[in-house]
Amino acid sequence: MTNTLSVAQWSERILIGNLMKAFFFLVFILLSSFISNDSYAAEQAEQLFNQLKPSLYQIKLIDKASGEKSFIGSGFQINKNGIIATNYHVISSYALHPKKYRIEYLDHQGNKGELTLQSVDVINDLALVKRAVKREIPFLKLSQTTPYKGDKLFSLGNPHDLGMIVVPGTYNGLKKESFNERIHFTGSINAGMSGGPVVNKQAEVVGVNVATSGNSIGFLVPHNKLVALYQNFQQAPPESIEKQMAQQLMANQEKLMAAIFNSSWQVKQLGAQGSIPIIDVPFIRCWGDSNTDKTDALILTAIANCSLDENIYISSRFFTGSLDIEFRTMQAKNISANKFYHLYQQQISQAGAGNIAGKDNVTEYQCHHDLVMPDNQAINNKSILCTRAYKKFPDLFDVLYLSASIDKDKQALVSHFTIAGINQANALAFTRRFMEAVSWK
Amino acid sequence: MEINKTEINKTEIEDMASATEKPLTKEIIIEEVSRNYKLLHRYKLSQQQIHIGRDYQNDIILSDPHICPSHASIEFRAGHWQLIDHQTVNGSFVENPTQKKHDAHQHIVKDGDIISLGKSQLRIFFNDHKVLPTLAFSPFESFVDLMRNPITLFLSIALFVFITGNVFYLNQPIEVNFSQLFVPTISMALGFALWPASVALISYLNKYDSRIMAQLGVSFVFFNLMWLSSVLESIVSFNSASNAILPLLVMLPSVALAFCLFWLNGYIGFQMTATRRAIVAAAITTLLFGGSYLVNYSKKPEFNPRPQYNATIMMPSLLLTSSNSVDNFIKDSEKLFEQTKKEVLK
Repeated sequence: MTNTLSVAQWSERILIGNLMKAFFFLVFILLSSFISNDSYAAEQAEQLFNQLKPSLYQIKLIDKASGEKSFIGSGFQINKNGIIATNYHVISSYALHPKKYRIEYLDHQGNKGELTLQSVDVINDLALVKRAVKREIPFLKLSQTTPYKGDKLFSLGNPHDLGMIVVPGTYNGLKKESFNERIHFTGSINAGMSGGPVVNKQAEVVGVNVATSGNSIGFLVPHNKLVALYQNFQQAPPESIEKQMAQQLMANQEKLMAAIFNSSWQVKQLGAQGSIPIIDVPFIRCWGDSNTDKTDALILTAIANCSLDENIYISSRFFTGSLDIEFRTMQAKNISANKFYHLYQQQISQAGAGNIAGKDNVTEYQCHHDLVMPDNQAINNKSILCTRAYKKFPDLFDVLYLSASIDKDKQALVSHFTIAGINQANALAFTRRFMEAVSWK
Repeated sequence: MEINKTEINKTEIEDMASATEKPLTKEIIIEEVSRNYKLLHRYKLSQQQIHIGRDYQNDIILSDPHICPSHASIEFRAGHWQLIDHQTVNGSFVENPTQKKHDAHQHIVKDGDIISLGKSQLRIFFNDHKVLPTLAFSPFESFVDLMRNPITLFLSIALFVFITGNVFYLNQPIEVNFSQLFVPTISMALGFALWPASVALISYLNKYDSRIMAQLGVSFVFFNLMWLSSVLESIVSFNSASNAILPLLVMLPSVALAFCLFWLNGYIGFQMTATRRAIVAAAITTLLFGGSYLVNYSKKPEFNPRPQYNATIMMPSLLLTSSNSVDNFIKDSEKLFEQTKKEVLK
């Protein structure tokens, strides 16, 4: 089974997933059109840039063994004591393997120094690092207000290790239907600018660069997430980064599943007789496809795929937080039940995980299967449930469920979901509700 | 011709003890045997002196170039047969399987002795040599006869072709016509025919009867039975939950079938003792199943990001068991989570 991805999610994945491979991806979009069209903005940008320059840093992750940088990003000072905000994904390798790397900053004057990791927000892709300071240093003020749609914003950062730049752009509200909010910023954000601040005309931080979809569509973490992280840090610095991440992942899945359980599951018809649940929450979006145009197909297939268009970056080889649901109805045309079931079996024998994860992060999947009929007796299924446990974050699992109807000679209904980073109770509660919601009409 | 080693030893001892008082016997059987004691020629002679050599005046003419024209003779003297080597280039030796090789000149020949001349070997028996008891036809013989009957053979191959064609047809996601099925089906049948053919070839090379029809007949019957057992396996695995033991037990018939096939192949193609045949059949079966397990095991990646599950589904008419409830499925799933959690600690 394939997971369809929206274009936005795909490029976001590329950006985050491949940053590791340093200077990759994305055609550098010339900013000249922006700048020449609006000389006032250019002047203002320059003024802002000069004003903020002392508080901006390039953040480098240095591989200790080779002594060379293995990842670059941007960061900015948020208090006078040396606390710097950046993206979690910039320093993720350090957070997971602190012995292998060290974090370094490079300021506008070319000074270098070591940074220590203080706190992370893995859900919103934020991190706080600290430089040692002898005296008070200039820092950026975090905005108290949210911008209005169309407001001019300035994104700062160091793309592709080319030097610190400023990119003017427009605030376009929050990304539509997102579970974890992101600002939609119309402006060119490139690799290496991750973790850089986005400021309004008053030079107050309103967001943090995080991802792009290309073509001047950028995504920012809203400043209030940073404010929350900073305040929590001031009250109680985390015991250990790993534990903090585990707590955040656990809390995030609780929030997600609570939203799903508390929403209405609408009954929808799929194909001629299938009845499937559509979870009515804005952040789960559905797509459909069928093969009605293929006249030579022996089986008429209709597919509905609903998924959460975001996932959480843990490392370049480990993503979590995704949720994919797929339904498929099949109707045999002119073939026997025996042949239909042979082809049907081929269709369901290849389900894969919904998220990327490797040997260091998760165990191998373990599965069990049974013939299951819900109490309403509206369908008889062969149901398979597979789970794999997270190695670093206790009590979190990836689950995969696949169910195939076996009660009609020439019709089939397949229901399938994968959820990444969920605890046992929520996984089982979701599975139960899902199993009871799929049936024949 | 099978040599029973213990038999030889026994006769040897008897011979030594009773060499002198034994009734005079002049009849002697000389067998020309191959290196692994397969019979090539047999001579029964009743004269006092037997000449052995390469030229045509000999009683036993051997064409081996390492043998002298007049190589040796066996003479009946004072109640014994004695071998005389005629000062040959390569000599004559007594080479009994259980004894050390020694010079055969003036050797008193005993029943069952093996004499090597050049690169040839002769085995000598007296006419009072004890032979093995008569072997009754085993019930397999009539089964094999039935299987190699041209009509049965044709029917079993036809059935095999039909089943193979059907399997190809069932797994094709697009419409197929007869000719598209024909080629893979026939090549599959030919591929499977290679096994009985090679067994027949090996037995032919070992100077046994090739009996190719019997090999083909028996093999195809078993191939068909294996199809049947794989269908049974699918039905059982379709009808049972993941923790059931039955699917494992259903593996057994296919192992047993493979063993029986190899046993019968040996029975038809080679003459060997029952234990040896059982060992050979068991060895090939182990090689087949163990080998395929090893191949799978070696291909297994260090970490598999994809779940491995049993997705066997069949048409509703083959559904024989009643389904479980969602409650029980969820309960079983709890165990699954516990199991995965344990994996982390490994």
